[in-house]
Amino acid sequence: MIRISANTQAALADQKLQRNLRQTLSKTLHSRNEAVSDVPNWEELRQYARDVKTHTLSRLADYLLELEGKVSEQGGRVIWAETGQEAVQFVLDLAHEKRVAKIVKGKSMLSEEIHLNESLERAQIEAVETDLGEYIVQLATEAPSHIIAPALHKSRGEIADLFVAKLGMAPSQDAVEITKTARKLMREHFLTARIGITGVNFAVAETGTIVIVENEANVRLSVSVPEIHIALMGIEKVIPRTSDLAVFLKLLVRSATGQTMSSYVNFLNGPRRNGELDGPREFYLVLLDNGRSKILADDFLRQTLACIRCGACLNVCPVYQRIGGHAYGSTYQGPIGAILTPQLRSLEEAPEHAYASSLCGACYEVCPVKIEIPHILLRLREKVQGEKNQKAAHLPFEKLAMQVWAWVMCSPSRYARLGRWLRILQKNFEENGKLKLPFPPFNRWIKHRDLPALPARSFKELYSSSEKQP
Amino acid sequence: MLEKVRRACDQAEGVELPGQSPQFPQYTDPVAKFRQELERTGGVFFDARQPKELPAVLTSVMKQSDSTEIYWEDEQLFQRHGLPFTLRNPEAFAKGFLVYSFHFRQEMKLPILLNSKRYERSELARVSLSASSAGLGVAETGSVVHEVRSGAGRLLSVLPPAHVVFLSEKDLLMNHAELFRSLPLGQYGSALTLVTGPSRTADIEKTLVIGVHGPKQLFVILTS
Repeated sequence: MIRISANTQAALADQKLQRNLRQTLSKTLHSRNEAVSDVPNWEELRQYARDVKTHTLSRLADYLLELEGKVSEQGGRVIWAETGQEAVQFVLDLAHEKRVAKIVKGKSMLSEEIHLNESLERAQIEAVETDLGEYIVQLATEAPSHIIAPALHKSRGEIADLFVAKLGMAPSQDAVEITKTARKLMREHFLTARIGITGVNFAVAETGTIVIVENEANVRLSVSVPEIHIALMGIEKVIPRTSDLAVFLKLLVRSATGQTMSSYVNFLNGPRRNGELDGPREFYLVLLDNGRSKILADDFLRQTLACIRCGACLNVCPVYQRIGGHAYGSTYQGPIGAILTPQLRSLEEAPEHAYASSLCGACYEVCPVKIEIPHILLRLREKVQGEKNQKAAHLPFEKLAMQVWAWVMCSPSRYARLGRWLRILQKNFEENGKLKLPFPPFNRWIKHRDLPALPARSFKELYSSSEKQP
Repeated sequence: MLEKVRRACDQAEGVELPGQSPQFPQYTDPVAKFRQELERTGGVFFDARQPKELPAVLTSVMKQSDSTEIYWEDEQLFQRHGLPFTLRNPEAFAKGFLVYSFHFRQEMKLPILLNSKRYERSELARVSLSASSAGLGVAETGSVVHEVRSGAGRLLSVLPPAHVVFLSEKDLLMNHAELFRSLPLGQYGSALTLVTGPSRTADIEKTLVIGVHGPKQLFVILTS
């Protein structure tokens, strides 16, 4: 079971983490807002993309079949994997069959979801993350803390120290020097690896095209040098038409990094063809379910699968901004992680994710495909609560308390009188303007929250006294 | 598994696939917009719509990339962009051009070449400047489309530290809606890349660093 509450205190107390989060997230938010304000019909684009996704998800099976047909026509092979284990097994079997000792990987959240690297390591196959951010967290033996910027939780100094310690880089705090070191080292890996594994941003059903968005060119190299390319995608990534890409790319890139377009968008149609000078000779596309069809079956929750993994909801979330990605304890973090994790796995495994939100709604405002994250969070809370309520003993007390509250609130004089009593009572429990109530049910409530003391005079009293002295 | 997916969305209420694509921006001067966007990403723009500009432009590209050779795969690249005549210009050669073309399988005998020789894969690592022709360009974002075709590959445009792209003015589109209406996905080759500026990263404290695994320099030469 994942306990977010067990991780939050440490995250909040981590001064370095707090500084890194503050600095990087404010930059990202700023550039995203600039890039979006540049597009007058942003709302129209959002609705268009959402409609395409809603349509596609309602006929997902048909589009997946069309995609498979097109990929096969072009000489690629499609693998249907119902579970993460099946997808991992396919990669392991292929690597063994081809006697491959080294794999280069482009950034793929899906491979994190199925814990591919751990399995490869156990099978003694070297898997090298080639995206700089992913490589940094791999060197640190950590998990990505953000779906777009994996090493967002680390400062330049921490990364430099890591490179000095693990790679023998000459001491330098310069981001350019660190990048140079990575480039040089990675060249060797690119030229010697025999399998390249990447994720997929979109798969176009009508042409069988795999679309991968990136900035560093590590994906370009991963799909050019090795003799085998394996692309991993969740079944929800398929879109019907090439023409839809104009809208999706515009939304994705601006939301994710605030660029107008990323450096490279790769469109891949199977293995190399006759006469082409390089490129993989074999192309495999793994279609992974891993809990997605379960989400698909619910009319309201289905929209969770519209996500294009831009990460904007993480950047804007007041909870993510404070606790960072690792505290979520799951592959996907932030608001999208909060709704995706309990659905992909189970509410029993991730009972706290739906509560890791203040329901402020900022995630919905920035979501380029208009996923109603706050409402989905509420629906998931209902489910968690529903299970609890079945065995609840506290209900009669709660009901009584609410009745008393309603009775008090129905009369101004009763309300004022209660206020006066409480102000007298609270003197025994007040500490620096906050109430310390060491008995149930308040002790549990104030464990993670402040309960401010009532001010000495009520609003009504202040108001009438100010009327006397204009 | 497919059956499971089919059952899951069996009852789903779908919406129709939207027909009308949203409006994408138009520009009165697409070349100026293209240039502005390209330069914003760190790319370098050259206007060689007047063929007589070409020797100076090429000299500048070679100087800026600190190269003495250009490598390319497309046999017609230099002809298509009106280069043979220019390069025959003794003045250009006098400036120290050493132009190699290469090909895996056949020796090329283009009139423009001083030197032509077989290209070996092992040479790729030391190529400092490569050239390609863009199938299309997009003014909206300053992007060019790199296509892989028979006789060419994926690597030459991505391994070297500098890359120069020739873009013909007639192939410059306004926006991405136009681009994806006409993008020939899978029609010619197995890979196509939309390139916007040089390789970059912001993975360290969101600090922009140009030149990670791909070219550090991207030049685009606009021809007529």
